[in-house]
Amino acid sequence: MDISVTGPKIYFEIPLFGGIKITQTTVSLLAVTVLLIVAAYFLTRNLSKRPGRAQVIVEKLITMLYNLVEDTMGKHNLVFAPYIGTLFLSSIAGTLIGMTQIFRSTTSDLSVTLAWALVTSVMVWYHTIKNFGFKAWLKGFTEPIVVMTPMNIVSEIAQPISMAFRHFGNVAGGSVLTALIYGALAALTSFLFSWLPEAVAAAIPPIFQVGIPAFLSIYFDLFSGFVQALVFSLLTMVYIAGACPPPAERREESK
Amino acid sequence: MLETFEAFVGVNFWTMIFAWCNLLILYFVLRKLLFKPVKNMIDSRQKEIDDMYSDAEKLRADSEVMKADYEEKLSHAQEESEEILKHAVRRAQLREEEILREANDKASRVMKRAEEQVEMEKKRAINEVKNEVSDMAIGIASAVIERDISREEHEALIDEFIRTMGDS
Repeated sequence: MDISVTGPKIYFEIPLFGGIKITQTTVSLLAVTVLLIVAAYFLTRNLSKRPGRAQVIVEKLITMLYNLVEDTMGKHNLVFAPYIGTLFLSSIAGTLIGMTQIFRSTTSDLSVTLAWALVTSVMVWYHTIKNFGFKAWLKGFTEPIVVMTPMNIVSEIAQPISMAFRHFGNVAGGSVLTALIYGALAALTSFLFSWLPEAVAAAIPPIFQVGIPAFLSIYFDLFSGFVQALVFSLLTMVYIAGACPPPAERREESK
Repeated sequence: MLETFEAFVGVNFWTMIFAWCNLLILYFVLRKLLFKPVKNMIDSRQKEIDDMYSDAEKLRADSEVMKADYEEKLSHAQEESEEILKHAVRRAQLREEEILREANDKASRVMKRAEEQVEMEKKRAINEVKNEVSDMAIGIASAVIERDISREEHEALIDEFIRTMGDS
């Protein structure tokens, strides 16, 4: 049997600007956005001082987010918490939506993770220039010694690429592995029943595909999806926090 | 229809733009719909609880002060009442002594007057007896000597006699 590892399916192409491809990823991105907005709307519709069960959970999660941002980035950077939360939710929902088998995981498309990683990089550059000045930003490349400049530039470019590939690789690798295992289990079924007449053997469904992949899915989709979302958000927090030190420190360094 | 796929590892610029748009929309919508309201709710509840606690603390401190005040006043009142009682007792004792003294005085005065009266009565009685005795003596003597000496002489004689008797 053939197991093909492909990218997202292209549904159609809008013949504009040299062809806008509408792919599975596009649809999944839209689905995630709609899903999250609808969920947010229903969860926060009846906020009250005396919370219901759902509100307690939502509040707990939001508190955790704000605490995490405060611990990682400091109290002065709490303004980034909504972005980090959005990124985390986009990432985990984008990964988990692949489990529906209707949509493809958005994060198993390199374009998506690269887009997010570039947002992080641009935010870092913007805040470095804003807080330390353009000269200091350029000067940062020559540190600690001038010889290091090429390497600094490479590491600056590598940063978003490594972030993008890490996230993409984990999710896409998981889906490839899952596909391989499905194929292997189908092969196992046909191998075990090969002593039967060919017509009968072909009619037996690949029964080993029931059950076993579920456990793999717990790891590759739930666990890995959560970890990658967390890693991506944490890295974003750490990089941005590096560009936004506490106000007192900022003044000292710019002198 | 032929299904076409993108490369497994590839970057599609338009997908990136879609990703950015979705991220941007999600960011603004979730911030407005989810993060800010929930965070505000948590903060305002926290603030309310803090206020309640600080209010309660303040009330407690106030009541503590009031309690101390009342206790002081109470102990003060007790002292005062003791003072008043003591004062009253002392005054009553003084008054009692005064009344007793007055009564004693009065009694002694009455006694003295009574004694004086008794003394006077005695004197009068003695005088009366004396007069009678002298009259009797005159009568007896005139009867004895049958000589009528003048009354004045007799009286002088008797007085002298009595005086000598009283002296002896």
